[in-house]
Amino acid sequence: MTNSNMTCEAFDDALPDYLEGTLDDSLRASVEMHLRECVRCAGVMRDLENIRRDAAALPDLVPSRDLWEGIEARIAAPVIPLAARPERRRSFAPAAWMGIAAAALVISTAGITYTLTERSLAPRQDAPVAQADPTARQVEPRIDSGSGPQPSATTTVATAPDQTGGNTTNRPRPPEATGQRLATPASLASQPRNSSLQPEAVYGKEIATLQQIISQRKTLLDSSTVVIIEKNLRIIDAAIEQSRAALAKDPASQLLSEQLTHALDKKVELLRTAARLPAST
Amino acid sequence: MPAASSAVRVPMGDSTDVALAAGGDRQAFERLYRTHANRVYSLCTRMSGSRTRGEELTQDVFVRTWEKLPQFRGDSAFSTWLHRLAVNVVLNARKTEGKQASRTDESDVGDERWDVAGRAPMHIERMDLADAIAKLPAGARKVFVLHDVEGFKHEEIAELCGITSGGSKAQLHRARLLLREALQR
Repeated sequence: MTNSNMTCEAFDDALPDYLEGTLDDSLRASVEMHLRECVRCAGVMRDLENIRRDAAALPDLVPSRDLWEGIEARIAAPVIPLAARPERRRSFAPAAWMGIAAAALVISTAGITYTLTERSLAPRQDAPVAQADPTARQVEPRIDSGSGPQPSATTTVATAPDQTGGNTTNRPRPPEATGQRLATPASLASQPRNSSLQPEAVYGKEIATLQQIISQRKTLLDSSTVVIIEKNLRIIDAAIEQSRAALAKDPASQLLSEQLTHALDKKVELLRTAARLPAST
Repeated sequence: MPAASSAVRVPMGDSTDVALAAGGDRQAFERLYRTHANRVYSLCTRMSGSRTRGEELTQDVFVRTWEKLPQFRGDSAFSTWLHRLAVNVVLNARKTEGKQASRTDESDVGDERWDVAGRAPMHIERMDLADAIAKLPAGARKVFVLHDVEGFKHEEIAELCGITSGGSKAQLHRARLLLREALQR
């Protein structure tokens, strides 16, 4: 207590607002009078102002290592330009992964069932049509074929990461900016029917690259996350294989081609997300 | 106290690299990283209280920046936009890492009176300011770093952290008193 009307307890209560400059004039005058008379409260005030001043002047810290390499590995995850979609949740809930994989499997299976059912009910003269393009049967669908047939002029893939560190553009660009058409399921579906295996050529290289990135970062991810990723990849791979098998029987089917593209799309999406997951702590 | 929006230490020449990086140029993005890495790392480390965690969060921030860069419209300085994005990344990481701890940090401000005379209920060894900040309870540290180190206003902190402006002021005062206690030992 001092000669002023303000007690030290009242000063303590008023101090936050005094430091914020939000006290009314009369109370501020009382605080300042108390500060002139009370050594203890003046010391508190001086210390807090010093902390505030020193905090504002703290120098920037420097990381113990170059963080760019890790950042580049994550942003270099290649992307296939897909149709614009609403932004997805970033959380890594197992249920969400199961949903994605299950949706791919259900859609693929339903499409195959529908097509096969339709074929079985169709007039028998359809049979020769399905065999009209023997070359399509001779193509072995291989998802990891980096040296497979190049996409036609009507499709494009994002470039693989530039291993030389060059000025690579791998972000999806608008078609008009690149002069190329997007390899969306829709654009693939609009291609001639005998190009039904092109989705694998389009996606194969990207999948292989993404899998390589994930393989390198595997040890950095949470082990349970890795288990979930691998489990869902197996489910999606099963859907892809079903689509392949159905396509082998009916290479002319646009629906089956779309289903295969869809399943591959899901696989790329899962791999891309996994490749960009932050390291576990 | 400069506000965050005053873009303290804004490097010159960002705009070209921002445009190039937004178009997918990784070299331009690396230049942006080199320019801003230390400041982002400082924010991440001080808010998380850990250098190791700060490095991980810094990487997360720049990956997120790469993803969001096409949406940057230049309404504010790139450094301001980046800084706010960094704060959001750190705060979101904290939400997923320890909601329970976070709730405790927020709720323990309440009506609790902190003894200005130096009897704050936290034992901290004598240390320098940076170490003392790292030892603060998470809620108090977050507000202190945003306000006193980074220059955000209470209204901005309230919006970012999902607390009231009064809560931000209370946490700040608590943090300062705890720091004073730590620095006096």
